[in-house]
Amino acid sequence: MRHWYFVRLVTGWEFRRYFKWKDQFLGFLIFVGISVIAFATSRIAGRDGRSMTVATYGVQLSAPPGGRIALAPAPADSAARAAALRDGDVSGILSRRGDGTFELLVEKDPRHLPELRALLVELVRRERLAESGIAEAELARILAPPPLEVRFTDPDRTRAGRAERVAAGVFLGLVMLALFTSMAYLLTGITGEKQLRVTESITAIIPPQAWIDGKILGIGAYALASVANMVVGGLVLALAAKLAWGFSIPDVVVRPGVILVLVLFSVLALLLWNAFFAAFASTIDDPNTSARASVMFVPMLPVALTLSVLRDPDDTGSRVLSLFPLTSPSAMPARVILSDPGVGEIALSALLLVAMIWLTRRAAGRIFEIGMLMYGKEPTLREMWRWASAKSGSR
Amino acid sequence: MARLESLVRLEHVTKSFGGRPAVDALSFDVRRGEVFALLGPNGAGKTTTVRMLVGVIRPDEGRIVVSLDGQPRVSLPPALTGYLPEDRGLYREIPVLRTLIYFGRLRGLEKHEARRRALEWLERLNLLDRKDERVAALSKGNQQRVQFITAVIHRPQLALLDEPFTGLDPLSQELFLGIVRDLREAGTTIILSAHQMDLVERAADRVLLMNQGREVLSGSIDELHGRLDGRPRVRLALDGTASLEALREDPDVAEVTADDADPTAIHIRLRDGATVARFLARAVTLVPLRSLSTERPRLHEVFVHVVREDDARRAGSPS
Repeated sequence: MRHWYFVRLVTGWEFRRYFKWKDQFLGFLIFVGISVIAFATSRIAGRDGRSMTVATYGVQLSAPPGGRIALAPAPADSAARAAALRDGDVSGILSRRGDGTFELLVEKDPRHLPELRALLVELVRRERLAESGIAEAELARILAPPPLEVRFTDPDRTRAGRAERVAAGVFLGLVMLALFTSMAYLLTGITGEKQLRVTESITAIIPPQAWIDGKILGIGAYALASVANMVVGGLVLALAAKLAWGFSIPDVVVRPGVILVLVLFSVLALLLWNAFFAAFASTIDDPNTSARASVMFVPMLPVALTLSVLRDPDDTGSRVLSLFPLTSPSAMPARVILSDPGVGEIALSALLLVAMIWLTRRAAGRIFEIGMLMYGKEPTLREMWRWASAKSGSR
Repeated sequence: MARLESLVRLEHVTKSFGGRPAVDALSFDVRRGEVFALLGPNGAGKTTTVRMLVGVIRPDEGRIVVSLDGQPRVSLPPALTGYLPEDRGLYREIPVLRTLIYFGRLRGLEKHEARRRALEWLERLNLLDRKDERVAALSKGNQQRVQFITAVIHRPQLALLDEPFTGLDPLSQELFLGIVRDLREAGTTIILSAHQMDLVERAADRVLLMNQGREVLSGSIDELHGRLDGRPRVRLALDGTASLEALREDPDVAEVTADDADPTAIHIRLRDGATVARFLARAVTLVPLRSLSTERPRLHEVFVHVVREDDARRAGSPS
């Protein structure tokens, strides 16, 4: 079919227009480099955070080894205590008043206060236990929760833990990254073509629908390639972290079925939003001066809604979000990572999404057909709606 | 009579923008193998007509019938047509050769064939050594050469060239004029819209003059020259300079104008009924005449005369 011949040509052209191995390699190095620097900085900052020393005066307190609070007995002489604080030998002086309350004397806002407070709570608890005559072991037995083991019918399945939630969050982040990469290139590419007056040469040759289809696919492929580059970088870092600290990737995200769903919904998300972005970009001349550039943040809304899925992936709200075509590209993969929505639900969600993409693509093609040849005037939303509902070839 | 076969026919085509007609019930046909020129002042509707022909915009009324390969169609098949738009532009960040191959492929050429023809054209237009440079690195004139190649790389049966000479220096204009002629010799039918009258006069077989969206005059170059009026025109070369008052008072003379380039020459338009022989007999007694030659009105004069006449008629018309 001639339509797909043009789509294939434009897809390849748009992809190669932006994809450059050198840039990708440089991006890979920058991503890994920044990640290493950020990690090293946090480690250095964490090490520095251990060094808060508190001098205790009239308080029988002990700190566990390895904590971020170090305790030392304060001099008996008040002048010597003040000098130690002033000279920076200690960060604070902890004392106990006559009414049993504690006082922390500091020169500046204290760090790690919650940790110090926890030590004091432990101290007071032990004191009160001693007063009541209950043995510590007995109290622990009374307060201990009854054991409950969650066991799945599928023995391979485990509960979604923190790692799974982090993985779901990372996935949402990658989808957003791909969307914004696509958006940026579609916006600059299409408005650039309008400004350079390339438009007329192309529309005289190929149907606008074939042109926009090629752009959607080509720039989407470029965005996916860029994100894949970062994923590879992330895997390299994860492997390094595994070798150095025994860090492990959650099993769920390396299952082939889950990867398939993640990739499928990522691609569909890109197709849907790229159609929207392409149509929108064709209606503005210059994104730097258009008051409508903020519309480009619309895709953030469904992703923000999807964050609720991370709390409970199987409640009614999450299920609705994972089926509704605007939110399903992010909600369904999140549910797949955190829970087990079932093949039927996944298939229905994908079908609804494909139908939505088809409708959006057709409407986008009609807006694109007219928008690409308009200069100097941005159409109103009503005009765009009229174009989207009109028959093709009405320009 | 293959050259008379109609290739493109417009029938009462109308296009309005914001309620104002840009093209108003325009009809004409273009014959296979000819160079057909659309002429007209700014805003006459030439570009709108060309854009409707290539299908970038659609007529509100009327129809366009195309018969490139024997099959009547309502739109031009991209593989058989080439288009140089007035609004020109290329992907600035892409190398020249890659750009040409892309356009060749869009027009239906295989990749190796598109490359071969692109290299051929680049050599012909003295750009071969710049094939790997980005388009942005070329001068405006050279970018226009590259754009021209995108319109003809696939050897179209019909080429629509909207203002092909604009922005070119005289040497490049001559080069493009030669290419237009060569294309026609190779069998390409050409529709060109231009306002460089001398170039159109040298390139076109037939001309359609538009004003305010309508046809005001059409025909071959010779026919157009004859349409200004039937009054003869002569050019006098004088021995030195002379007072022109005596000539202006001559009963056979309608208009006397100086030659822009030669101060010893003058152009004279004679009145209705006057003959060159009778005027010559008196002219030798009025000025120091070295030579006399008859001349026909330039297309530029036809253009100015006809458009003014049309404007005056419209201004006087109640509608």
